Amino acid sequence: MKDIYITGAAMTPFGRHTGTLAPELAQRAILGAMRDAGVTAKDVQAIYCANVLGGMILGQVIVRDLGFAGIPVYNVENACASGATAVHLARHAMLAEQYETVLVFGIEQLTALGGGTIPLQRNDAKTDLYAKAGMVLPAVYAMRGTRFIAERGASMQDLAQVAVKNRRHGALNEFAQQRKEVSLEEVMSSRMVADPLTLLQCCPSQVDGAAAVVLRAKPRDTKKPVKILSSIVQSGIREGARDDILDAEITARAARLSYEQAGLAPKDVSVVELHDAFTIAELLYYEALGLAEHGGAVDLLKSGATALGGRQPVNPSGGLLAKGHPLGATGVAQMVELVWQLQGRAGARQVEGARVGLAQCTGGGIAGVDHAASAVHLLGV
Amino acid sequence: MTSPTLWSNGDRQSLLASRDPSTGELMFPTFVEGSPLAETHEAAQLPPDGVVYSYTVIHPNPKSGELPYALGYVDMDGPVRLFGRLRGKDRPQIGDRYRAVADDAFGYAFEYVVQDANNGGAQ
Repeated sequence: MKDIYITGAAMTPFGRHTGTLAPELAQRAILGAMRDAGVTAKDVQAIYCANVLGGMILGQVIVRDLGFAGIPVYNVENACASGATAVHLARHAMLAEQYETVLVFGIEQLTALGGGTIPLQRNDAKTDLYAKAGMVLPAVYAMRGTRFIAERGASMQDLAQVAVKNRRHGALNEFAQQRKEVSLEEVMSSRMVADPLTLLQCCPSQVDGAAAVVLRAKPRDTKKPVKILSSIVQSGIREGARDDILDAEITARAARLSYEQAGLAPKDVSVVELHDAFTIAELLYYEALGLAEHGGAVDLLKSGATALGGRQPVNPSGGLLAKGHPLGATGVAQMVELVWQLQGRAGARQVEGARVGLAQCTGGGIAGVDHAASAVHLLGV
Repeated sequence: MTSPTLWSNGDRQSLLASRDPSTGELMFPTFVEGSPLAETHEAAQLPPDGVVYSYTVIHPNPKSGELPYALGYVDMDGPVRLFGRLRGKDRPQIGDRYRAVADDAFGYAFEYVVQDANNGGAQ
């Protein structure tokens, strides 16, 4: 298969960019990624814009004044997996030799929505019925947390330790929204949101941000080239009547396909950016991604292997919990972080000697499936 | 949006699901009238109660003035798993038995079934 490289990567700080319009926000990431890649507007042959709630033709709105020569702009929506899906589609087009240089960016401005949990997509009868009764994503994850604690003999503190770890990482990341280390006691005593999840175990909902990457069919000479080793997007299979809500089936499936495509195994991964929208998610994804055996998630966390300095650091950026989760930007931002990690540009949070990075993100928002979408990418140098 | 038919014959005695005749699989709620899938599935009455598979208690932001409420998945014979409000007990437990009841706001909800400690039966 043809090699595709990420030759430029940039993002805005994630945070409250109140009063900033979408073009001004996203253009910072776009121009940063193009500078990083050493390309100009005339080099770019197609653009993929990932966004969830920003309205129609957002990509064209954002790039109108940047001097692109009328090239195709594809607007991509796949809930929280939009950014990863955009990279996946761009790579497809490049593998089909339609383009040699492509810009992919993601953007979201959640502060404009006024805060609170992101509502489910209510345009089907089942989701509408369940949403009326109170189904929101924090509730879905909380029910996984309840079941996890009961089945695995885990504690609420075990879940909370994920927030302690990732927020410690986020304190080292100048692009993270929440840069304060927190103690276990602070996580446990923060306001209960959806039992067993307290506020500090939920990713912030008041956040804006953008991230961009440049994909090229040839590596750039001047830097350690980052190759896309595999790119998988999967969709949720309708849940059965007795499904195990702890098995993160869609992500396990996407991960298996991604490892197969890359010819790698979980042990080969140096650094992971995964979708820790809530603390319980990280524990479930340890197992779905093969970082831990079934039933081994809490032990893996407690071992320190997934903390900076450990064997396989997970979410050195701070993850969604600390960095923030501007939906459409998240998947691209995960890859920006991995590019920086693999090229030794991650500063105080650098994972030494990182050779292979894994990015995983899911898109939720409907009832009756584990998740609507899950994407797993492997990047390598 | 067209709403699914939740209860049998309007008597609110049994919740309804759609059954795939080829596999026997039950889906809740029923496919709405006008759905092409409604034509290939048959209505099936669900048992009156089931057991909690998992749950959470939602604590609304204090500014909202709303009180905490419980939500959960309830597994019924069929088999089928439903999601809904859990009432009658501040803190449900996995394995607790709940009965489906009509609810004006949500269409249905689940009411805790008190277990008789002497004979293990429900009151």
